[in-house]
Amino acid sequence: MNLLFVAPAFVLFGLFVLLPLVSSVFYAFTNWSGFSTPEWVGLANFSRALADPVHLTSYLHVTLYILGTLLLEVSFGLVMAVVLNSNRLGFSLMRGMFFSPMVLSMTAAGVLWAFVLDYRLGLLNSVLRSVGLNDWALPWLSQGSTALIAIMFVSGWRFAGFYMIIFFAALRRIPRSIYEAATLDGAPPLHQFFTITLPLLRQQMLTCVLLAITGGFAGFDLFFTMTNGGPFNATDVPATWIIRTGFDNNELGYATAMTVILAVVVLIISVVYLRLTERGDHVRY
Amino acid sequence: MSATDRRTPGEWLQLLVGGAIVSAMFYPAVWMVLSSFKTNREMFKNPFGLPRDWLWSNFSAAWDKGGLGGLYLNSIIVTASAVTLTVCVATAAAFAFSRLAFPGRRWLFRLLLIGLLLPPPVVAIPLFAILRDMGLLNTLWALILSGSAWSLSLTIFIMHGYFNAIRPDMEEAAMLEGASIWQIFRDISVPMVWPSMLTLAIVNTINIWNELMFALLFVVDDEKRTLPVGLIRFFGRYSTDYAMVFAALTISTLPILALYFLLQRHVIAGLSATAMD
Repeated sequence: MNLLFVAPAFVLFGLFVLLPLVSSVFYAFTNWSGFSTPEWVGLANFSRALADPVHLTSYLHVTLYILGTLLLEVSFGLVMAVVLNSNRLGFSLMRGMFFSPMVLSMTAAGVLWAFVLDYRLGLLNSVLRSVGLNDWALPWLSQGSTALIAIMFVSGWRFAGFYMIIFFAALRRIPRSIYEAATLDGAPPLHQFFTITLPLLRQQMLTCVLLAITGGFAGFDLFFTMTNGGPFNATDVPATWIIRTGFDNNELGYATAMTVILAVVVLIISVVYLRLTERGDHVRY
Repeated sequence: MSATDRRTPGEWLQLLVGGAIVSAMFYPAVWMVLSSFKTNREMFKNPFGLPRDWLWSNFSAAWDKGGLGGLYLNSIIVTASAVTLTVCVATAAAFAFSRLAFPGRRWLFRLLLIGLLLPPPVVAIPLFAILRDMGLLNTLWALILSGSAWSLSLTIFIMHGYFNAIRPDMEEAAMLEGASIWQIFRDISVPMVWPSMLTLAIVNTINIWNELMFALLFVVDDEKRTLPVGLIRFFGRYSTDYAMVFAALTISTLPILALYFLLQRHVIAGLSATAMD
């Protein structure tokens, strides 16, 4: 009887999450165009994946992207949580504005920023030209050397508010008396930040880093909207390459093998990360 | 320390730095709205200023050519159905995980972790085949069901946390009075967690409203597309008609931004709850 309460959830979860996950393990070993019957090819897809240069560099790109998000989303969000932590007039509005990109779709954000970064008309280049830095105006998204960095900044723009709010909520729970005591002892604000604030936010930082890692591997929308892997695969991440291989080239068997690799990579990293961090001593206040 | 005290020099600096960063980051949104009223030429000659003539015609052109009305309607149908389904089903499951004993409880709960850690692209291809075999491909049901299924893990985990934070006294009392589990769930537990259900409805609304990949892969007909996919198509087709794309962007984002600023407190509470487990 009690099972009836979880049954609807697990019917949905089973059909649309678990079943595709399990069947992907089967498809990964086949040659399959989507319409043909899958034909068993053993490990061929996997050995091909390990030799596919685009596939391998997509992991380099996603690693760089995750490192970028740790800096431009998590760290920047933390700094902004400290900067915007005040009861003064206007700060609530500023927090709201800083958070607002989070409610926009990645496609809207991507299209908007494609215009901001446009070579001819873009806001960024207009600003650079208007202050005389004509040489700095670059085709940001259409050259390989800047496209990935540009996407990292857009991602930072969109997600920094999320991490800011998480850190802000935690900052609010730190008693003011700790800071007052430190000030009486003559500790300058920067010193207080490193010796009081950071250690007390340890738990939130660990959570945020995990979110940045799993979110980074899930990254698809922004890459698809802004560059779809281009120019010349310079911004291909696993998700964009998998979707293009599967649905544009109809190599669904091979693409599925790459999804299995992606799933294994993400699961190993998350499990190792969770194991390593849950041992750490919790700072309580 | 009250908010009417004089500001210290440090606080002025804080206001200045915070204000500068926030304005710089919010400016693209302002630029988007202003640009949507300009002609393509004016955008190039005068990128920063107010438009000389406020061209409302950009909006009607974008609305008609982009079929934005239909996109909005589809997005609303998909989001409303998927969110309702997710929150109801997840609340029942979270109730069971928190309050009831049943075989495989611990094991099933762990299984849900998969949906939290794995990225949706991992299942995109086999899910495509499954939906095709079920005859759901190219229907809004494909988006409702898969969107809902991928929102379940997070929703159940957070709901479970809310249930665990409430002592089961009332439910136990009702049990002694001879109420059935279904009655307890409906008349006691759901009213207690009702506010949390609304918070989670907001979180899921944002996620499903913005969902791109499933909508891109599982729906082919133009008249069944949702807003994020429609926007990309529109951008691809009219990418040189800047003014009209800006108008389409404004139409598709401004209502969401306005709604956010109205419900700000709830949205922020909801989205930050997703990181607290």
